[in-house]
Amino acid sequence: MTGEHSALALRGLTKRFDGKVAVAGVDLDVPAGSFFGLLGPNGAGKTTTLSMAVGLLRPDHGQAWVLGHDVWGDPVRAKRLLGVMPDGVRLFDRLSGAELLAYHGLLRGMDTAVVDQRASELLDVLALADAGRTLVVDYSAGMKKKIGLACALLHGPRLLVLDEPFEAVDPVSAALIRDILRRYVVGGGTVVFSSHVMEVVERLCSHVAILADGAIKRVGALDEVRGERRLEEVFVEAVGGRTATGEELSWLSR
Amino acid sequence: MAVPVTAPTEPVRPVSARHFVRLKLRVMANNLRGQSWRVVLFVAGVFGGLWFAGGGFLLLAAPGFAGEPRYALLTAAFGGGLLVLGWLLLPLVFFGVDETLDPARFALLPLPRRTLVGGMFAAALASVPVLAMLGATAGLVVTAWALGGWVAGLVAAVGVVAGLLLCVAASRAVTSAFATMLRSRRVRDLAAVLLAVVAAMLGPLQLLVLAAVRKADWDRLVEVAAVVGWTPFGAPWTVGLDVAEGRAWAVPVKLLITGATVGLLLLWWSRSLESAMVGAAGAAPTKSRRGPVGGAVGQLFPRMLGWAGRDRFGALVARECRYWWRDARRRANLITVAVVGVFVPVLVNLGGGGFTASSDTGFEFSGSSSPVLLSLSMLFVGVLASVTLANQFGFDGSAYAANVVAGVPGRLELHARMTAFSVYVVPMLGVVAVVIVAVLGEPGWVGVAAGALLAAYGVGLAINGLVSVLGAYSLPETSNPFAMNSGAGMAKSLLTLLSMVGSAAAAMPVVVAAGLLGDSWLWLALPLGAAYGLGAALLGAYVGGDVLDRRQPELLATVTPRR
Repeated sequence: MTGEHSALALRGLTKRFDGKVAVAGVDLDVPAGSFFGLLGPNGAGKTTTLSMAVGLLRPDHGQAWVLGHDVWGDPVRAKRLLGVMPDGVRLFDRLSGAELLAYHGLLRGMDTAVVDQRASELLDVLALADAGRTLVVDYSAGMKKKIGLACALLHGPRLLVLDEPFEAVDPVSAALIRDILRRYVVGGGTVVFSSHVMEVVERLCSHVAILADGAIKRVGALDEVRGERRLEEVFVEAVGGRTATGEELSWLSR
Repeated sequence: MAVPVTAPTEPVRPVSARHFVRLKLRVMANNLRGQSWRVVLFVAGVFGGLWFAGGGFLLLAAPGFAGEPRYALLTAAFGGGLLVLGWLLLPLVFFGVDETLDPARFALLPLPRRTLVGGMFAAALASVPVLAMLGATAGLVVTAWALGGWVAGLVAAVGVVAGLLLCVAASRAVTSAFATMLRSRRVRDLAAVLLAVVAAMLGPLQLLVLAAVRKADWDRLVEVAAVVGWTPFGAPWTVGLDVAEGRAWAVPVKLLITGATVGLLLLWWSRSLESAMVGAAGAAPTKSRRGPVGGAVGQLFPRMLGWAGRDRFGALVARECRYWWRDARRRANLITVAVVGVFVPVLVNLGGGGFTASSDTGFEFSGSSSPVLLSLSMLFVGVLASVTLANQFGFDGSAYAANVVAGVPGRLELHARMTAFSVYVVPMLGVVAVVIVAVLGEPGWVGVAAGALLAAYGVGLAINGLVSVLGAYSLPETSNPFAMNSGAGMAKSLLTLLSMVGSAAAAMPVVVAAGLLGDSWLWLALPLGAAYGLGAALLGAYVGGDVLDRRQPELLATVTPRR
């Protein structure tokens, strides 16, 4: 069954805010079992696209399917297969880490014993067990990312959608998160994440898409997109950035 | 523009207070741009200010027109003192501080502290409330002029301006000091609760003061007013009257008192400004509370929820229960309900005689309470308790995304939220019912009180459930607990008022029944009222849940604060 469908398929997703187009018709197919990086500069529409893909933001036009289930037509089935870590979204942060995991587990209709067992395992692996009953609001930025990831993983989703999972994370936590995600993909899961850090994407991803001005500029397997060049060059070219000519800002070097 | 960064010795134009004022006006204007509802609220605010200015002016000028120096002293000392007190307390309790110019944004600019404080002070003066104050206190000038000629009027004008500076300086200094103190979350939570208690007590206190004033004789009051006139609270407002009454020597002393106070306040403000700018980067160290080692699920459920099933509904209820206690905003609301819920009915029912004397078309009794009046006051408490939920999704903010991603059905969501709130409120209502009949000495009426409470509370749950889905708005996520989204205060009170009126109207059958059914209502009130309330709440969740299912993403978007 997973062989027939893309893990995530987007068709013509469009969103405008107050007349300004944020996402202008995104089509995307994420193959099942891939590690998919969604690249884009700030304000490219990454968060908006992912929010529409997982059912957090209603698109003006277009559709999204998770493993063949229509996110907006049949949300219950689609959401069951989906784990999400939205960026910049507060968790229910007046709960401790364990309480938050229990909440998410029960909300997903999981059995109490399973929730307990997985929660303690996740807290151990992510080195959050030491925090004890500290409320999530008092966690550091890296710890918040980790507990958010744990919440998204808890119910064993087939597709994991992460918005900026490596933003504001220290190298130790980042390595841990990378390791867990790699194991998840090896085990048959699919990861889609957004980022603007080239190194992380080059090191992790099997597939990438470059998003700019609300539209997909490049998409495909990492080697196809990259070719013989470095990903950063391709990215800057696709986004239409400029490199300094040396003429302007001359007073800086006086 | 092309100033070499490596050559700071180039002439620098000095920054004056004018720049701050212009910056503030610019920021205000940009806030309004393209936001028609904000413009509407701003205009409403201006009209509110005009209304206040006009009313205050008439009140303060009246003794002058009437030629009553005694009343003039009373209004100047007490009225002015109240204004200062208002500027001190109201920003903390109700309105929040105008954060148009956040001092932290100036941290990196090479500004001397003196320039910064002066500029921020000038910017703070450029606001609607200050202009409204100026209009209102102009009444004092008129009074002084009428009583003591143009010299007195002129001195009064100087005093009024000095008083205005005092008010603004006081409000800035206090809120800034509080905000700095409250950087740490635990202190902040505590302070929010304390302030909620103070705010909730304001109403009852007001009634007490009014009662005291009614009994006190005027000579004593005038003496007190004269003393107040020598404190910073009354000094700037009474100088004009001093000239009118031939005590010109008092004028420089009082102005000195005022000036010194303003100076001290500004000094205090500049101190706390500095620490606000540097910020508390190294906030309080996180204590890890080593709790009972148990399963994650066991930790989520508070002990009082032992009965709840370990499923989706249970998890939602447990999380809400935790939040009603751990989230300072919510806890402050709960405490307000508790305090007001006990005080208001006691005052209404005991003061029943006084209340009906003023509007004698009311109820067919005199001096003491009745089941009808009791039901009415209970209705108010029940409605007030439930209106706390009018923006229940706004409390969650963007965290609500978790429920959207998990696809929680709307009815389940509303049922759980109502249940969790009721875990706290229903016992509280029970206490209110018992206390009130005990105070009245009518234990037989406990059923009437409880029935009316439950009916009104249930109806309120239904209506506020709908309001919370359709009329949600975002609450600010800032480090300053007193900050308000500009305009949100107005929107909030409108929404609250609407849902309160609706709930009260829908619960009126209980009051009518209390009037029509006589003694049999004493027994029927509790079962019928409870059934009415429960039925209404279930119906509300049924309808509201449907709406919620259809607009979950839209609701999430409205409660997510704009950055």
